[in-house]
Amino acid sequence: MAMLSEVTGTMSDEPTRAAMMVEAVVGNAWATDAAGRFVYITPGMLAPLGIVREDLNGSDDPAFGWKPLVHPNDYEAAAASWRQSLRDERAYDATHRLRAADDTFRWGRCSGRPVRDSENRIVGWYGAVLDWEAIRERDRELSQLVDMVPSHVWRLTPDGEPTFFNRRMADYLGLESTDTALGGLAELIESVHPDEVCMFRETLGRSLASGEPFSLRYRLRRADGAYRWMSSRAEPLRDHADCILQWYGVCHDIDDQVLTEEALRRSKHQLEQMIDALPINILSFDPARKLTYASKRYLSTAGMPGEHIQDFEGLAREVSHPDDFPTMFNRASAGFANSEPFVNRFRRRCMDGVYRWIEARAQALRNANGEIVQWYIVSIDIEEEMQAQEALRERERFVWQLVETLPAMVDCASPDGEPVYRSQQLREFLGYELEGLLDTNGSRLMQTLDAGVHPDDLAAVKKDYAQCLRTGEPYARRHRLRRHDCEYRWVETRAAPMRSADGAIVQWNVICLDIDAEVRAQEDLHLAQERLARASQAASLAELSASIAHEVNQPLAAVVWNSHACQRWLAASPPNLDRVHVTVERIIRDANAAAEVVSRIRALFKQTVAPHHRAAIADLISDVGRLLGDRTSRMRVEIETDVAADLPAVPFDFVQIQQVLVNLMRNAIEAMEGHAPKPRLGVRAVCDGEVLRVEVSDNGPGVLYPEKIFDAFFTTKQSGMGMGLAICRSIIESHGGRLWAERNRAGGATFAFTLPTHAPEPA
Amino acid sequence: MQQHSLRHAPSSPDPVGAEQPIVVVVDDDLTVREGLSELILSVGLNVVAFASTQDLLASGAMDRPGCLILDVRMPGASGLDLQHRLAATGDAKPIIFLSGHGDIPMTVQAMKAGAVDFLTKPVRDQALLDAIATALDRDRSQRATAEVARHNADRLKLLTPREHQVLAEVARGRLNKQIAYDFGISEVTVKLHRSKAMRKMQLATVGALIRAWETLPAHVRLPPSR
Repeated sequence: MAMLSEVTGTMSDEPTRAAMMVEAVVGNAWATDAAGRFVYITPGMLAPLGIVREDLNGSDDPAFGWKPLVHPNDYEAAAASWRQSLRDERAYDATHRLRAADDTFRWGRCSGRPVRDSENRIVGWYGAVLDWEAIRERDRELSQLVDMVPSHVWRLTPDGEPTFFNRRMADYLGLESTDTALGGLAELIESVHPDEVCMFRETLGRSLASGEPFSLRYRLRRADGAYRWMSSRAEPLRDHADCILQWYGVCHDIDDQVLTEEALRRSKHQLEQMIDALPINILSFDPARKLTYASKRYLSTAGMPGEHIQDFEGLAREVSHPDDFPTMFNRASAGFANSEPFVNRFRRRCMDGVYRWIEARAQALRNANGEIVQWYIVSIDIEEEMQAQEALRERERFVWQLVETLPAMVDCASPDGEPVYRSQQLREFLGYELEGLLDTNGSRLMQTLDAGVHPDDLAAVKKDYAQCLRTGEPYARRHRLRRHDCEYRWVETRAAPMRSADGAIVQWNVICLDIDAEVRAQEDLHLAQERLARASQAASLAELSASIAHEVNQPLAAVVWNSHACQRWLAASPPNLDRVHVTVERIIRDANAAAEVVSRIRALFKQTVAPHHRAAIADLISDVGRLLGDRTSRMRVEIETDVAADLPAVPFDFVQIQQVLVNLMRNAIEAMEGHAPKPRLGVRAVCDGEVLRVEVSDNGPGVLYPEKIFDAFFTTKQSGMGMGLAICRSIIESHGGRLWAERNRAGGATFAFTLPTHAPEPA
Repeated sequence: MQQHSLRHAPSSPDPVGAEQPIVVVVDDDLTVREGLSELILSVGLNVVAFASTQDLLASGAMDRPGCLILDVRMPGASGLDLQHRLAATGDAKPIIFLSGHGDIPMTVQAMKAGAVDFLTKPVRDQALLDAIATALDRDRSQRATAEVARHNADRLKLLTPREHQVLAEVARGRLNKQIAYDFGISEVTVKLHRSKAMRKMQLATVGALIRAWETLPAHVRLPPSR
């Protein structure tokens, strides 16, 4: 009782701390004594209704005083329950509608518990009235929350049996209700994808056994049979004794995320595969030039960089050829320093120790702020290319050297003849570089020709060039070309067009040989031949005279010997007349033979004039000019021919007079050699009354003995028999003409001969 | 071709005598051959003429004593060619050259090679006959010398090698004891070899030995090696 009084006292008399505390708690509380009379009730509960606590204990009416507070329909049940609780001393629990402040009824729950003293006697009742509707509201909200959470929420017993799935999860699994029809754990496990079911079972079993949080990704079958990836976590709820009461778990549908990740992974994998498949090596370095990545292909070709290799320099030093390293590293360093892409070609050592040429290109990857995030270096093997290039270079060098060292002058010209290249030999010959020719001075070809070709050859050379350039015919010509030392040298130039596949001329290739020595040698040879011919002529004359002597000598010697013998035969005693007879016969015979030889020789020397034909002297002169053309051009002899137009044809032996003219002209040329700086040979033919006069004049030293020179064996030349002019004179005289020499106004000699216009009377 | 037979030479003392000298003329000119032969015949010498050196060599006339008169210039082998050829075979038959037009180098060449004379046609008869006489004299004396040499060489072949060796040393003027010392034999033995050798050589004195030794060609003198 003391306690009750204490309680009631406390509650009724003054707002104690306990009352304040109770009132602060949501809901209403009450307390009664052991008989069920209210000793306390939350003040806020009665005040709006206009009643006080005492009203609740009211009368002895069989109805309780609190009857007005309860919905009439519910009162009987509530009262019966309360009575029974009082009687049985058992806890009271009843749900009924209670009158609210606005005079409406709201469902509430009223609970009471007996309070006992130390002797187990009930000293009072404490109870609470909960606004059931408010709770229900909250419960509904909570349930809604659980269902609306975009996750699966579930609850398991400590044994793992599911006791709750939220709506979302039930829908997913295709379950009718959240708490009815829950299958067992086995059923849940059955929904897990066969690939993950083992792991699921194991992980869950481990968590259940150890109490460790459960966390797993797995695929869970949806109601329509599709599996979706889930990320599931569960943690245990423990009581104060740390025993697991429940397992609460959430499960997120991460299927899209997983698929995305998978796609990403696949894409990355593909990228890596691609990188590995591409015939390139990829390395990446961070901004501090530390190696961050090396493609598989790189590793399989160059090998794994050693442990000690930290950065770009270390790697470069390790794998690049020592000869190439400095250049390569300098360029790379500059590229890194300036943040500019760079390219390097160098020899890199492969795993097998062989160096191969590679081309490495580096490029920086920048972030949005433009800062370098990564350097990427891509390298490709260019060994074959380099070898091919090297071979090409070697070949080019070979061809170049071939052209440059050929013992010939080589020149290449564009299709219009403009020189584009000249070999060293030609440049050295000409003494100037192609670049030395200015475009402003006209075409380079013409400049070259004007400057180099001998003036006498220039016109013909230009004409030939023009002809070939126009027609595309090969060019070949000998001419004199001025060397750098201003000496004109004979060269032979040949040019041929190089054509493209469609036949168009792309270039002229020209070769030019210095044949000066050859030409001079030919001239020398020619001279030597001439000398030889003349020598042999002389020799044959000597021979002739010797054989004449022999021819006469033989029979004469025989005559002498026979005579002596005859004399002896006669002087013998007796005289050997037989032998005398024989010897005398022989003497006669041999003397006759000698006489015959002499007459034969006379016949040989006798000029029997062949029948002359009339011929034009002009033809003869031009013929001889042509015959001697070689000599005159070599000696640069200028020939002035002056033949009167109205010359009559005269009778003469063409060959003989030709010989005469050749002799006279040759003599004139030889006389001028070394004497006249500008040798000039004049040939004049005029009609002078009954005779035709032909004059050959030179500007040589002239003749000292104008008559003596026609004598046989007279010569002013070092070589020669001195027969030429003698024979010439005899030929002319046999034609009925005259041959003489005189000094002319130029100081040289003029040889003139005449031919009668009518045939001389036969002698 | 042989132009004149020896029977046309009535004044020849012994036309068939082996030791009778004969003048051989080679000239391609018939008139020269005839005139020359006639002249030589008229002075009582044997003569035979050929048109070419080939005919001469084929005839066997070279084996007989006498001399040659060669024309320098002939078709085929010339006179100078023949001279070279004879010199090469050791035939010392005297040669007179006859030329229509001899020049100095040719003459020098011929004379250096041992020609008796080089005459230019037409040649005076006496000059030619003098040259022939000289040539025949030279032939005769050469033959005599050659005969002695052959005789001595034949004798020398009779000696034993040791006798030959000893005799060679004696001919060098070595004394018996020197020879004995050199050969490692006694002086008595040397004397024995020496007297046998001298007897075989039909020589009586050392002076005769030295004269005979001089006639021998060097290769014959050389004793068999010891």
